[in-house]
Amino acid sequence: MYQLTDEGKKYLKEGFPEKRLVLAIKDELGINDARKAIDDFNIGLMWAKKNGWVKIEKGKIIPISKPEETDYEKALEMILEGKEPDGEMTALLLKRKLIVEQKSTAFDAAQKLIGKAVTALSPELIKTGLWKEVKIKPYNVEAVGKRIYPGKRQPYAAFINEIKNKLLELGFVEMTGPTIEMEFWNFDALYQPQNHPSRSWTETYNIKGDKKGKLPQKIIVEQVKAAHENGGGTGSTGWRYKWSAEKAAKLMPRAHDTAISPRYLSKGVKVPDKYFSLVRCYRPDVIDATHGVEFNQCGGFIIDESLSFRNLLGVLKDFVMDVTGAEDVRFYPDYYPFTEPSVQISAKHPELGWVELAGAGVFRPELTEPLGVTQPVIAWGFGIDRLAMYKLGIKDIRYLFSDDIKWLREKTVM
Amino acid sequence: MPTLDVSYRDLCNLIGTRIGEEELKNRAIMFAKGEIDEIDGDELKIDEKDTNRPDLWSTEGIAREIAGRYGKEGLPEYKTEASGLVVKVHESVKDVRPLTVCAVVRNLTITEDVLIQIIQLQEKVAGTYGKNRKDVAIGIYDYNKIKGQIHYKGYKPDELSFVPLEFDRELKLSEILKEHPKGKEFGHLLEGKDRYPVFIDDAGNVLSMPPIINSNYTGKVTDNTTDVFIECSGFDIDVLMPALNVIVCALADRGGKIETVDVVYGDKTIKTPDLAPKSIVVRKDYMKQITGLDLDDKEMEKLLKQARYNIAESTKTEIKVEYPAYRQDIMHERDVIEDMLISLGYNEIEPEPVKMITKGALQPMHIFSNKIAEVMIGLGMQEILSYTLTNKENLFTKMETKEKDVCELENPVSANWSVFRNALLAGILEFFSKNKHHELPQKIFEIGNVIIPDDSAETAYRDVQKLACGITATRVTYEEISSVLDAFMRTLDIPYKLRTKDNPSFIKGRCAEILIDGKSAGFVGEIHPQVLNNWDIENPVIAFEIDIDLVFQNKYSKNR
Repeated sequence: MYQLTDEGKKYLKEGFPEKRLVLAIKDELGINDARKAIDDFNIGLMWAKKNGWVKIEKGKIIPISKPEETDYEKALEMILEGKEPDGEMTALLLKRKLIVEQKSTAFDAAQKLIGKAVTALSPELIKTGLWKEVKIKPYNVEAVGKRIYPGKRQPYAAFINEIKNKLLELGFVEMTGPTIEMEFWNFDALYQPQNHPSRSWTETYNIKGDKKGKLPQKIIVEQVKAAHENGGGTGSTGWRYKWSAEKAAKLMPRAHDTAISPRYLSKGVKVPDKYFSLVRCYRPDVIDATHGVEFNQCGGFIIDESLSFRNLLGVLKDFVMDVTGAEDVRFYPDYYPFTEPSVQISAKHPELGWVELAGAGVFRPELTEPLGVTQPVIAWGFGIDRLAMYKLGIKDIRYLFSDDIKWLREKTVM
Repeated sequence: MPTLDVSYRDLCNLIGTRIGEEELKNRAIMFAKGEIDEIDGDELKIDEKDTNRPDLWSTEGIAREIAGRYGKEGLPEYKTEASGLVVKVHESVKDVRPLTVCAVVRNLTITEDVLIQIIQLQEKVAGTYGKNRKDVAIGIYDYNKIKGQIHYKGYKPDELSFVPLEFDRELKLSEILKEHPKGKEFGHLLEGKDRYPVFIDDAGNVLSMPPIINSNYTGKVTDNTTDVFIECSGFDIDVLMPALNVIVCALADRGGKIETVDVVYGDKTIKTPDLAPKSIVVRKDYMKQITGLDLDDKEMEKLLKQARYNIAESTKTEIKVEYPAYRQDIMHERDVIEDMLISLGYNEIEPEPVKMITKGALQPMHIFSNKIAEVMIGLGMQEILSYTLTNKENLFTKMETKEKDVCELENPVSANWSVFRNALLAGILEFFSKNKHHELPQKIFEIGNVIIPDDSAETAYRDVQKLACGITATRVTYEEISSVLDAFMRTLDIPYKLRTKDNPSFIKGRCAEILIDGKSAGFVGEIHPQVLNNWDIENPVIAFEIDIDLVFQNKYSKNR
């Protein structure tokens, strides 16, 4: 099926331009005058010449013969009526872009649907308005759709984002550090003696090979060494042993997030300010429902001239209640080699009861002073995996790094 | 953290007053830095938080600390008399285990329960504080079986025999190491020594071979024993003295009478134990600054006395306190300040919110990772998280690639998690291999750190952020994954090129290198069927992996 183009419709109404041109000429006509005389002059002239009806001499168009009868008009009329002229004529009309093929099968199909019930609403029904003439079948809209799975954040990653955003709201600046750390930053700079049990191979991973880290500038190393050996200038007795720079330069994967804090303190931090880190940590635990291959820890510190233990309790209380939704908190005396006084915080959770959540304290002067910090620094560390397990409703810590696509697909967002 | 078995009744008797369960749990036990783990009738399990306070690792120590807040204020007093006993330290132990400090405690009433407590304390002190007997080994003996002086002397492994504890026949020193359970457990501490240390009396009776085992004769303490000889052996007097003090003070708390021993080192004699109190000065304004409490002198002094300090001197600005000889943890005035706060009770202190206003900030890479995740999720991908620890078989063998230098653990808990990943792709395939019975297609991505050796880096290894994406279905095409990559790159506005490059993990002719600024940033392609076989994956997989640090640099570099 074909239909007339706009040009085809015009020619049918007004006549073909080559005919109109010849009819407009009496004896001869200047080209410029002829151009004014008819529309589509160029096309008319081209076809009139091609048909041998006119010739051009000295800027004038001179008729040679009378226009013969052509079937063009008849053919256009046939097409308008939905009939088809012979192949040659059709090809000619197509070439002159007077007709185009009409993709009318869908349209026809749409027409055939009149009065019937349809399942799918098609573009043809919409365009032609024939949708008014059909009945659109109702569906069982109460049936649940086929199960599909959207792309989603991993639940634990989403949880970590939430915690970080919470800390951002509270005005904390995020810190980061290398996964492969030096014992110096992980232990020594935190005033953890080199013979401390948590530095033994059963408590801490070591890196294979004899590569060593590069210790920071000499003054920091010397001051840390002095703090360990005799307290340095901190007023402390120190741990009273011979400190080894070689041991401090040994490599290990970060065993706790607190390894990052002395890096920032030694570089010089803004006072007052608040800092946090939330990073992957590594310890050689036997893997079970409560010990993963790796774990995340979230910790940080606040530094200001005026900070006290009471502030530490205040920060912890606000923070724990805010982040965990706990109803109440309790403080317990605790011990960390790098804080004094030290405190452990348990929170009363509406469902879990009292849960041990965080450890905190005021950084010891043997830690801060060798790094060049004279202001009190209150520090806290949070085992966020336990909280994540609760929030995500899981009993086995390994699900935090789940390799079960079914669980990931079906896990609802928090 | 030491966990102690304690009798409720015994604890209250030592404190001198009956303390109710709730009171004990929520208040009293905190004075001794403990937490009640379990209460079962008379049996208590107490977690001791302070790993640097061996004086708290016994019922006696906990009771002593709590008693300060229930009437028994100030420094606990321990009087000593000279026992007249001499322990002669011979040159022959110098290269083995050179030092010992000793004491005698008399007039004890040792019931079976008390004996259990003594053994528990001895084990905790030698185990935790003494690093599994390496730094401190402790022996307790029936004093009345000892004749004359005691010699601490080295013997060749086959030179001497005695009947070790719980045995009925004599064994040579070397045989004890091989045959006695304690010899097997602790023998490594004497490894490579040509002489083993022995305590032996004038009559030739062996007391013990430290740090391994007592003799069955002198070294067996029973409920008939009333007087004991105690020795601690090791390498550092400053470490040994507190251990001895902790033990003798605990026995004295049970009514024992402490007597000193002359330990003779050549021409030098030291009298042990030395229970003279030590002292430290605390600045009052510092105390106020750190605590945030405005306490007057009287309150301060009261709290310190409850924490078992004596006030030696108090001036306008300073306070000099005396503390017991079993305290080896006090290094700085901060340590005293904490004890004062514990006396007050942490939960009695009103928390004071920090009012400072600061501007928070997240790491630019964290923010960028979230943007990346958003794009990947928009492309229909499920995020996964996997461990950064893996193994060489996963990273190289199964991926059909040559082994590369990676960051390896020296002491892994399991061979499965013994090296740090240097790429994410293996994790994507591992994930598919574990989910082959779940519905297809599976479309996943991971954003994470990998560790790359880099000698120029501060710690010889560098963290690199990567993104990996994988799709598995019954039919996949290269075009599908390159479309995902292209959508990702266009959305982030990163100009890139793909260049054909063979990679043994991918099908030849179906892998391209991703170039950003002409730099190799990753690869994209269809996984080689051999790799799929290695992972036991039954459907084709297409994937890409890209260096997010490079993408980040390109996106935010000023010269774009």
